[in-house]
Amino acid sequence: MNLPVPAAGNSRVRSSFTRIYVYGLVLLFILSWGYVLFGGDSGLASLTSGKTWSNAGGFLRELAGIGSGATPAYLQMDQWVEKGKLAYHTLAMSVLAMIFAVAGVALTFLPAARNMGNGELGGTPSRLWTVLYYLVRGTFILTRAIPELVWALIIIFFLSPGILPGALALGLHNYGVLGKLSAEVVENLDPRPTRALRAAGSSNFQMLFYGIIPQALPQFLTYMLYRWEVVIRTTVVVGFVSAGGLGREFRLSLSFFHYSEVALIIFWYLLLVVAVDLLSAWLRRLARFD
Amino acid sequence: MASLIALEPGRRPLKFLENRHLLTLLLVGALVWSLAVVDWRGPLVHSGGGAAASDFLQALFPPELSTDFLRLCLVASWQTVSYAVAAITVAVAIGFPLGVIASGTAYTQGNLRVPAIVRLCLAGMRSIHELVWAVLFVSAVGLSPLAAILAIALPYGGILGRIYADLINDVPDPPLQALRASGASPMRVLLYGRLPMALPELVSYTFYRFECAIRAAAIMSFVGIRGLGYEIQLSLNDLLFSQVWTLMLFMVALVMVVDMWSSRLRRSLVS
Repeated sequence: MNLPVPAAGNSRVRSSFTRIYVYGLVLLFILSWGYVLFGGDSGLASLTSGKTWSNAGGFLRELAGIGSGATPAYLQMDQWVEKGKLAYHTLAMSVLAMIFAVAGVALTFLPAARNMGNGELGGTPSRLWTVLYYLVRGTFILTRAIPELVWALIIIFFLSPGILPGALALGLHNYGVLGKLSAEVVENLDPRPTRALRAAGSSNFQMLFYGIIPQALPQFLTYMLYRWEVVIRTTVVVGFVSAGGLGREFRLSLSFFHYSEVALIIFWYLLLVVAVDLLSAWLRRLARFD
Repeated sequence: MASLIALEPGRRPLKFLENRHLLTLLLVGALVWSLAVVDWRGPLVHSGGGAAASDFLQALFPPELSTDFLRLCLVASWQTVSYAVAAITVAVAIGFPLGVIASGTAYTQGNLRVPAIVRLCLAGMRSIHELVWAVLFVSAVGLSPLAAILAIALPYGGILGRIYADLINDVPDPPLQALRASGASPMRVLLYGRLPMALPELVSYTFYRFECAIRAAAIMSFVGIRGLGYEIQLSLNDLLFSQVWTLMLFMVALVMVVDMWSSRLRRSLVS
């Protein structure tokens, strides 16, 4: 982390700017809470009533399978196997989503880095690179700004339900996230190796494969694995609409009031999350190439 | 392949696979496996899916721009932003104190049990996605904006707490040593050393999370909360794709504004 650098000159202008931004935040805070609490039924009344909380207690008991009469799902072996299969599909969906995202990023991260187009890395500046820069950056912003669930709602119009549309929706959003991060990695690279390669007469591809990728790859992989941890959590949510894996079953069980099955699904979900977190931490250690 | 032959025992352990080869193998394996799980035999595209896709793309030229609809978009954007602001404030209120405790820097360094327990709690909060929390809350306490805000604030508090703890821990040590040498207690070192130094990073990460909270607030439409996501769902149900595009562009604009605000604020904090 960099230490704060003392301001050079126009510190008064800067501090008044800071003040505007900070005042803006305070105003936003007041207006937002005002709207939430007084702009309509906020739910404060129901959240503070005792009846709501006794209902909540009842819900928790039903999750635990107490008092419903039927055998709770977690005592039935076939339920474990069935939900385990769904968890397996969910995991596959998250991996497939990462593959879509990474494949897209691998094809487009170069023009998205500003120092590629302006010749800072030793390449030749050209109009085409500049156009591509804005085009790809725009795509990153669009895909990143739209949540996975909305992409899934749209994609389900074209593709038949299953793992694929969910993975595509997740992949699309994460393409934007990873693309931005990867472009920033390239922008922060040490330019000297590629410049040296250029000076020694390398072609563009040689500069890419011997100058840029070796430097950037560990960072790329680290970001990819971090995003995988996020993706596995979101896979369930996308499954709500794309009808793949645990998400679909979660929603169905909730709407049929099969609450002990919901509990079992949440258990499998948590197991997936923890497993992926551990796996990703291990792979990140491998990716450090030491 | 040098690792297959241990030249000097003790200097380099004999390994069957070097780390990066193992990593490559695992990643390729994951690729093949995930492609194998997909059921490729069934129809992948709906009948008429291709036509729908081209309809959808054509609807961008132009998106719906009537004044009435733009007004609706503004109202929906405000709803989404206000829920996101409310959620992020609750998340900071949860995450900041827990993060400070989890960093283990507020009191004497010896006792590590409390920070470890708090870190575990934070991990538990963030392991469940906000919409899963929301769906559970709706079943437990019913649908309301405050329930949705809490559903976002819980996992976000968990993430913020963990990142805050790391940032507070990772500040450069020499200024802290100076403080300690002049007799400052751990609390004072935290207040006058760690927190001011970590502030730009803390603020910019919180802003990044605010950007995510906008998306989270938008998808709370799934449990019936109004906002951009809600309008997107309505327009999709009516197959009004040009309206969907307008709403999506509003989301893009929101994210860009937050991005800009964050980088300006960060710049003025660093200098």
